[in-house]
Amino acid sequence: MAFTLYSLLQAALLCVNAIAVLHEERFLKNNCTVGWGTDQGIGGFGEEPGIKSQLMNLIRSVRTVMRVPLIIVNSIVIVLLLLFG
Amino acid sequence: MHPAGSAAAGTPRQPSKRRIPVSHLGMADPHQLFDDTSSAQSQGYGAQRGPSGLGYPTASASPQAAFLADPVSNMAMAYGSSLAAQGKELVDKNIDRFIPVTKLKYYFAVDTLYVGKKLGLLFFPYLHQDWEVQYQQDTPVAPRFDVNAPDLYIPAMAFITYVLVAGLALGTQDRFSPDLLGLQASSALAWLTLEVLAILLSLYLITVNTDLTTIDLVAFLGYKYVGMIGGILMGLLFGKIGYYLVLGWCCMSIFVFMIRTLRLKILAEAAAEGVPVRGARNQLRMYLTMAVAAAQPLLMYWLTFHLVR
Repeated sequence: MAFTLYSLLQAALLCVNAIAVLHEERFLKNNCTVGWGTDQGIGGFGEEPGIKSQLMNLIRSVRTVMRVPLIIVNSIVIVLLLLFG
Repeated sequence: MHPAGSAAAGTPRQPSKRRIPVSHLGMADPHQLFDDTSSAQSQGYGAQRGPSGLGYPTASASPQAAFLADPVSNMAMAYGSSLAAQGKELVDKNIDRFIPVTKLKYYFAVDTLYVGKKLGLLFFPYLHQDWEVQYQQDTPVAPRFDVNAPDLYIPAMAFITYVLVAGLALGTQDRFSPDLLGLQASSALAWLTLEVLAILLSLYLITVNTDLTTIDLVAFLGYKYVGMIGGILMGLLFGKIGYYLVLGWCCMSIFVFMIRTLRLKILAEAAAEGVPVRGARNQLRMYLTMAVAAAQPLLMYWLTFHLVR
């Protein structure tokens, strides 16, 4: 029952870290998933892109956007945890 | 700033909520969510300030007069008040960027009749026929005029009541300590946040074109606290049997309520025609609706079972 907002923040930080360290070649390649580098326009305009390409889009944007803030936040959290346990 | 005495001796406050009957809907200004009573109040206070204001200045005159006579402190007070006014202006200008205050006002435009009907709907949604929200000139009608509109008053009040009732339940079992209240509140908030994020993620992945805003979602997810309160109170009065009975009833009601409400928001086209859901796209949306509705009873049980022994 000790599910608090703080543990939610910790879990969110760990999840974003996990998304950031995904290996591009293994998981985000063309042959096993929809498209890391494929032209997204082929998906068709006017049709919903489908779950996989949405997921790829999401992961790619999270990686791009959160790269630098993650470095900062991780450093702060590491220092604080070392100091205060 | 009126002296406190005039407010206490002032005219009895006019009822600030006039219930506008639905037949007069066309005449009421759709963009005015709250009744404007400012002119009536200022008249009342102006008339009263003359006689009752005389009593005060003589009592507090001497220390205040001595304080104000000093020109330096006079200037300091003027400067301080101008600073405060500037700060207030700054906050008012920028608050809209972080918290959508005008949008939030819509969700609190409720009155007693709406709250009563909505609570009845939450406990017994089986006979309600029309679940559509009425629109007026492209904006949804305020909750005061339509019982189907989501509001934030009931979820906010229910959340606070849940925390207090949890404290009461823990107290009757001699397990209470003040930090447990904060823990309960934090835990419920964390589950709510997690639910909202999960649903937003699923809505994004399934690319549903819906007008379900985040605040709407928070409102719908907050309705389960009402059932939880009912369950805990019955559990306190009648023990575990009462708790399970009432909780089971409330779980069923919330399940039906959520399905009927979300069907109109997520499965808009299929629901409008009334056809049974078919096709891959509609199927995913149906699964999402069922999952959201099924998560409510589970969370209601998870957040309350440790409070009833």
